[in-house]
Amino acid sequence: MIPLAYYLAISAILFTLGALGVLIRRNPLIIFMSVELMLNAANLAFVAFARAYDVLAGQIFVFFVIAVAAAEVAVGLALIVVIFRTKHSIDVDLMNSLKG
Amino acid sequence: MDLTLILFIVLAVVAILTALGMLASRSAIYAALFLVLNFATVAIFYLMLGAPFIAMAQVTVYAGAIMVLFLFVIMLLGAEKLPKGEVLPWQRPLAIGLAAVLLAEAGYLLFQRLHITAGLANPGAEVNAPEAIQAMALSLFNQYLLPFEVTSVLLLVAMVGVIVLTKKEKGES
Amino acid sequence: MTAFVPSNIFAILPEILLLTLALLVLILDPFWKEASRHLNLGWLTAGGLLLTLAVSLVLARPSAPALVFGGMLRYDWLGFAFKMFFLFSAAITSLFMMDVERLGRRAEAYMLLLAATLGMSLMASAADLVMLYLAIETTSIPLYILAGFLTGDEKSTESGFKYLLFGALTSTVMLYGFSLIYGFSGKTGLYELAASFPTFSLLALGVLFMVLIGLAFKVSLFPFHFWAPDVYEGAPTPVAGFLSTASKAAGFAVILRLFMVVFPSISTDWSLILAILATLTMTVGNLIALAQKNIKRMLAYSSIAHAGYAMIGVVAFSQLGAASAVFYLIAYILTNLAAFGIVAAVGRVTGSDDLKAYYGLSRRAPTLALMMMVAFLSLAGMPPFGGFVAKVFVFAAAVEQGWVWLAVVGVLNSIIGLYYYMIVLKYVYLYRMENEDEEKHPIPISRPYAIALTILSIGIILVGVLFGPWFGLASSSAANLF
Repeated sequence: MIPLAYYLAISAILFTLGALGVLIRRNPLIIFMSVELMLNAANLAFVAFARAYDVLAGQIFVFFVIAVAAAEVAVGLALIVVIFRTKHSIDVDLMNSLKG
Repeated sequence: MDLTLILFIVLAVVAILTALGMLASRSAIYAALFLVLNFATVAIFYLMLGAPFIAMAQVTVYAGAIMVLFLFVIMLLGAEKLPKGEVLPWQRPLAIGLAAVLLAEAGYLLFQRLHITAGLANPGAEVNAPEAIQAMALSLFNQYLLPFEVTSVLLLVAMVGVIVLTKKEKGES
Repeated sequence: MTAFVPSNIFAILPEILLLTLALLVLILDPFWKEASRHLNLGWLTAGGLLLTLAVSLVLARPSAPALVFGGMLRYDWLGFAFKMFFLFSAAITSLFMMDVERLGRRAEAYMLLLAATLGMSLMASAADLVMLYLAIETTSIPLYILAGFLTGDEKSTESGFKYLLFGALTSTVMLYGFSLIYGFSGKTGLYELAASFPTFSLLALGVLFMVLIGLAFKVSLFPFHFWAPDVYEGAPTPVAGFLSTASKAAGFAVILRLFMVVFPSISTDWSLILAILATLTMTVGNLIALAQKNIKRMLAYSSIAHAGYAMIGVVAFSQLGAASAVFYLIAYILTNLAAFGIVAAVGRVTGSDDLKAYYGLSRRAPTLALMMMVAFLSLAGMPPFGGFVAKVFVFAAAVEQGWVWLAVVGVLNSIIGLYYYMIVLKYVYLYRMENEDEEKHPIPISRPYAIALTILSIGIILVGVLFGPWFGLASSSAANLF
């Protein structure tokens, strides 16, 4: 018997670590990976809740989230490639052509 | 202590360590590989939670397709080595503070409602994999038909978008 | 649960037509000659969208509100009215896109615009968290690509990437909020959820806050507004106009439905939070707009401020409040589309978005300057234009529900706003070009711009003068919420 709370705790920790990654890293690739980690944490919570209630909706939700993540990653990486082509660097701090 | 609990604790430790590893690693390749391992661990959690289909999707789509895409791009750009001093000094305490607040908030929210979460049935005990997948497919193509169709639009958009963005225009050097 | 009933088709008729049009654009594109491609693409898209609008108005008007497609959508006036707004703004945007270099000749750009519109339509009528999340992403992902569409342009790609990064982050936080909602109720249907949050709890408030982050990003509410100026500046101007109007309105459609349907029990708490956020949004937006030298950035900050005004209607939490918010959005969509359209028309000729490029515009293009005056006075909230009536309704709704201080803040902010809109009009009408003869530098307007801007100007005046029918539409959509 593993309490639901254990899964939720893992999910909360992973989500926090992902958020931390977004805040402290400067490389867009790593920031992007951290966002994926956060998505995974949300997914884990969904599946755990689906199990607790014995309702499938949670699993279905995760299925769609995975599809969305695939689309988002594809577009995001394409943008990174394009930026790299013009700048030969992908440091977020060098992304400063937009300023007030 | 029963076996599944031990398994859970081992996996949990692996999941947290790989997440930390991704955060701290100086090489984008290592970060991606840590993340693959993390996703694989989460996939085992899904199996333990009686979601075989999601576990499979996690391994093939997430750990497989998405992370391979990441690795491709890292290699393509030659961006595997990250510059030193990459972490901004003033941002770190702020970020850790924020993260602590977030974790505390999440923890509070979750444990406040612990009474509904008394315990889950033993993993895999009564989950019949083919039946579970069948049930999922049935609701996917009945109740969730519309979102399912919308996903196809989304994937088409991503496909068109990636081609538009990365294809060089005629006359462009 | 029975998912499919043939008559349900009418609930998603606009979406079906949108998808057909999007595919048609992609399929027909290779058959067109290079010289006339942008004309064919633009007119096909705009015409198709107007046809969709007309067909939907005739065939797909909702009667009694009903949940359709297994509870995924709610077929009601709120969703329907917003769908019509999105179709209209997409049609105008496609007219603006036609003459933009490296955008107007690409079929993909129109296809992405249509896909984003499809996502917004679903956002406006989504009645289930699954559908809502998917609709939000179907809206966002094409818009990320459109913002970064000009691949040779550093600013554009950066703008696209920034938009994607903040969008992905905030939508992930929102998703976590969704998972907690699901976790504490075991349900995902918005109309089933209200029963799960019957009384105040810290938990409900925390969940609400996480969800609000994702939506605040969409409508650029303080403190999630910082992306807007950067993204608007870098994105192609017509796309920026679309982002600041339709995309924002879609966010408001979701906020209206979610807050009024799922969380009515804690309305006093979220009203206060939103009131504070609206105050900050208006003030920050207006004050920073004062200092801008680039007109797209100025309009970005002004559109942040306008999100604050519209939020006042939501804060009021009444039928009048919701109706006034919807009415505000009608006026705002017309006005801001016109403003961005003018910026696109001028920027195309002068190649600059600097405020300096507008010196002496009244002599270079008198009609354009006149339209600019209509749009900017409406943004400033001057009678007899749409913006004035909209502000009056929103403030009246706030006062009716006892939010007098919020209405006062709104009025004070309108005065700040008036100042910087007037400065631009001063440049246009009173300043002269430096050492140049304006007569020799006319700004020609191409036909699509002329048509679109004329429609918008008439619309702005019409909403301001004959506001009865528009307010009736806003009221009947609001009535479906309560």
